[in-house]
Amino acid sequence: MRAVTRAAAGRGMTRRVQKAVIFLVLLATTASATTALALLVVDTGGPFQQAFAAQHGADAVVGINVSRATEQQLAATSRLPEVTSAAGPFQVASMSFDQGGYPGGTVTVAGRAAPGGPVDDVTLTAGRWATRPGEIVIATDLGQGSGTQVSLPIGSKVTVTTAPGHPQLTVVGQALSVTDSAGAWVVPAELPALQAATAHQSDEMLYQFRAAGSAQQVRADVAKVTAALPAGAVAGYAPWQTAASEANGNSSIIAPFVIAFAIMGLALSVLIVTNVVGGVVVSGRRRIGVLKSIGLTPRQVTTAYLTWVGRPAVAGCLLGVVLGNLLAMPVLSHSASVYGVAHQFVPPWVDVVTPLAMCALVGIAALVPAVRASRLSAVQAIATGQAPSQGRGYTAHRLLARLPLPRPVTIGLAAPFARPGRTAVMLAAILFGTTAVLFAVGLDAGLGKAAAGVQTTKGPGQVTVQTGGNNPVFTGSQQRQAIAAISAQLGTAHYVAQASPTVGVSGLTREVNADAFDGNATWLGFDMVTGHWYSGPGQVDVNTVFLTQTGLSVGDTTSLTDGGTNSTVKIVGEVYFPSNQPLLLTSWQTLGGAAAGLTVGQYDIVLKPGVSSQAYGNGLGNALGPNLGMGIYGSGQFFTIATSLIGTLTLMIAVVAGLGVLNTVLLGTRERTHDLGVFKALGMTPREVTAMVVCWVAAPALAAAVIAIPAARTLGGSTLQAMANAAGTAIPASWTHALSPVDLGLLALSGLVIAAAGALLPGTWAARSRTATALRAE
Amino acid sequence: MDVTRVADVLIEISNVTKQYGGGAPAVDRVSLQIAQGEAVAVMGPSGSGKSTLLNLIAGLDRPTSGTVTVAGERIDRLSETALARFRRRRIGMIFQFFNLLDDLTVLDNVMLPAQLVGTPRRRALTRATELLSVLKIEQHRQAYPARLSGGERQRVAIARALVNDPELLLADEPTGALDSRTGHEIGELLRGLNKSGQAMVLVTHSPDLASHYASRTVEIVDGQVATAGVRS
Repeated sequence: MRAVTRAAAGRGMTRRVQKAVIFLVLLATTASATTALALLVVDTGGPFQQAFAAQHGADAVVGINVSRATEQQLAATSRLPEVTSAAGPFQVASMSFDQGGYPGGTVTVAGRAAPGGPVDDVTLTAGRWATRPGEIVIATDLGQGSGTQVSLPIGSKVTVTTAPGHPQLTVVGQALSVTDSAGAWVVPAELPALQAATAHQSDEMLYQFRAAGSAQQVRADVAKVTAALPAGAVAGYAPWQTAASEANGNSSIIAPFVIAFAIMGLALSVLIVTNVVGGVVVSGRRRIGVLKSIGLTPRQVTTAYLTWVGRPAVAGCLLGVVLGNLLAMPVLSHSASVYGVAHQFVPPWVDVVTPLAMCALVGIAALVPAVRASRLSAVQAIATGQAPSQGRGYTAHRLLARLPLPRPVTIGLAAPFARPGRTAVMLAAILFGTTAVLFAVGLDAGLGKAAAGVQTTKGPGQVTVQTGGNNPVFTGSQQRQAIAAISAQLGTAHYVAQASPTVGVSGLTREVNADAFDGNATWLGFDMVTGHWYSGPGQVDVNTVFLTQTGLSVGDTTSLTDGGTNSTVKIVGEVYFPSNQPLLLTSWQTLGGAAAGLTVGQYDIVLKPGVSSQAYGNGLGNALGPNLGMGIYGSGQFFTIATSLIGTLTLMIAVVAGLGVLNTVLLGTRERTHDLGVFKALGMTPREVTAMVVCWVAAPALAAAVIAIPAARTLGGSTLQAMANAAGTAIPASWTHALSPVDLGLLALSGLVIAAAGALLPGTWAARSRTATALRAE
Repeated sequence: MDVTRVADVLIEISNVTKQYGGGAPAVDRVSLQIAQGEAVAVMGPSGSGKSTLLNLIAGLDRPTSGTVTVAGERIDRLSETALARFRRRRIGMIFQFFNLLDDLTVLDNVMLPAQLVGTPRRRALTRATELLSVLKIEQHRQAYPARLSGGERQRVAIARALVNDPELLLADEPTGALDSRTGHEIGELLRGLNKSGQAMVLVTHSPDLASHYASRTVEIVDGQVATAGVRS
């Protein structure tokens, strides 16, 4: 059989290149398909749900006012028909802490003797559980990505600034609660010592309900629990949907990108593999005819071709799976940490199904033309294995010959018309490649804005200055010290003082976080979805959730209650601020300023262009001294991973598209070897031959570029919209058209680059071929 | 035997050998001179090396050793690009199977070499039309080669070979694919061209063609010159 395979496939440069192309195409497409499928499965297959089920997540975390309900009454709620399981009560406290003088934030700390339990089985990701007072376990994602200078490795010490005596705790473990029941845990005996002197004791109960599919169902279930307890016992609750929304957060943003790339990658894989493999068989028809004439059976011919194509294809598929796993790993490991799962990996079935599917695709792509060729009579096979049908493309040649362009160029431009089917496949390959490039660059710009938007949820400005002591607000002397240091620091472009009170909003039962800026803050760079940044007293900007929850729109007015003072404000803009909490942004004056009790909580700083935030931070840190803390913000690691993943997938799609072009042009040059010999005999120089061959792809590439621009805009726009929906926010309209028409036009030329890169190699080979040999070719 | 004066030498082949792989040389230590305006027939049985010799003169192939000088230019050491430029300026080629480009019209086929040397389209068109008229196939100028008879195709090939007024016309079995009557017509055409001063080298295994239409016959056997300078 080996001899038959060798005879059927033939040898020589073209065959070796086709083998290499099959291998590389299958390597790249299997890798991208594995990556895309894995990310899709992991992301859309519900990693939160998986983690939720594994950790027996709470459908509702219910806050209890312990002065109104006894433990017996609370225990009785677990027997309600709606409740399937309950845990608690766990004593909880809100504590602010710092580490080494730098503020670490405020977290809910719960007293729990052990991580396990019937509900909210907390996963220990590092270290161990707290076993004695003075120890604390912190949530793995606490402070993650915030860019603050607080890091909490095992063994580090934190100081609870809101508790009397500022007790110090040692971090002994890191853990994750899928339902965010707490941000830190201590032994129950420790908790009273962590509570602020003025705080009331509160507990939380964790429930799993019989029906909790929707927020409405959870609300109804909690209402039953509330009814079963004395009035005022239930202080509030958090449904699992809130935790899901927060956990999905950034990962959901990437899902539409991955889906779009997966579809493009898979479609391109099918197209190129079919083209390459089918092309190998079709270009071998003449040989098939010869082999049949010397006695090979149709089955032998078919089997020989499948074997020949199968070897590089299987090798490419197997290595592609390995490569795909390597590419998916960084995103999956990030996802695992987000969801509190020990590991996330490419599902085994993806590793099995993807190469099998690709091999099956190769088999079908090769089988159909091989069977058709084997059924031809020997004479027919030899005849159809010759050059393209006569008559095709003649008109194009005649018309293009009249153009005032060098003759090799016009001949090259007319060549695709001789093989319309093959040209269509080449056009589709270039189209996919060009669309991928346009789509990726456009989305990269969008993702960059999303990253910046997410950054503003952590702290407006690139650098913030906060108090480092126990008091979360600046004293007068600290303000003067901060302003002096910031003003003197080279690289400061703008800074503004910010207060962050909570305000009551008409129609909302819970107070809303507000950021009030003492001065011009337009440069903070909040992206506007609609409307404009506030420009005077009485104007506010809000995020999407604020509008959703209040039912208001930009242009409406609403009443704010701040420190017992009512004021009417006009909503003048909707800012991009992806969060599930409403937010209000306004001026210091709108909220009444210092007279209304506003105090500076932090200074937001934006740096001059080109200034390194890290270097700036080092300098400012020295100037501020130990009493003031600082946060330096950068885009999160996730966006870096996502951007590099998009870049890698784009490159792979572009390479596969280039290989598709290479294969098509290779088939073309092989078919036209004799004509190329004639051209050279007539005096066409090697460079002219190369130019002519490269021009074969110019028309399809230009057509692809023209189609790719609207295709990429549509795809990019809808993907960004899906991304925004996943993040639970509206996005500025400008994001969907982040690239100018000129940018798009220039980027669309990437189609020409892909096509030229694919055609250059066969063009060079054609130019280097020996003329006398080419003239002898049939 | 040197039959030409040095000043008139158009082609000078000196001790040229061409060997493919490790086999016997296709052309073995051949030396030959062809004068301006001469019509030389290279004869020999199949596989004797006559087409290889023609390819070496045209610069389509390079000698393994020896030198090939055409119109004072050592073509054996030219680059591929320089060889291509040499061919389009100085050489016209006619092939046994015409080697016309099927997807170009007769006119476009003829104009192509002129356009490759940079002749403006209008002038190339005038020259091609003139040649087609001289060769009596002007009525087929917009036809495609596949629709023409063998003789008509060879006339188109001759027109294409002449479009740049080459110093040398090389013809590889120009009547080999034609019936005897058409072959005779083509032979007469070539003779007429030679009479007007066109130097040419005809490769043929037909003694009739050689004797009737060439002024000198060189016979190649097993890659070596068996007889040279036999004037007809």
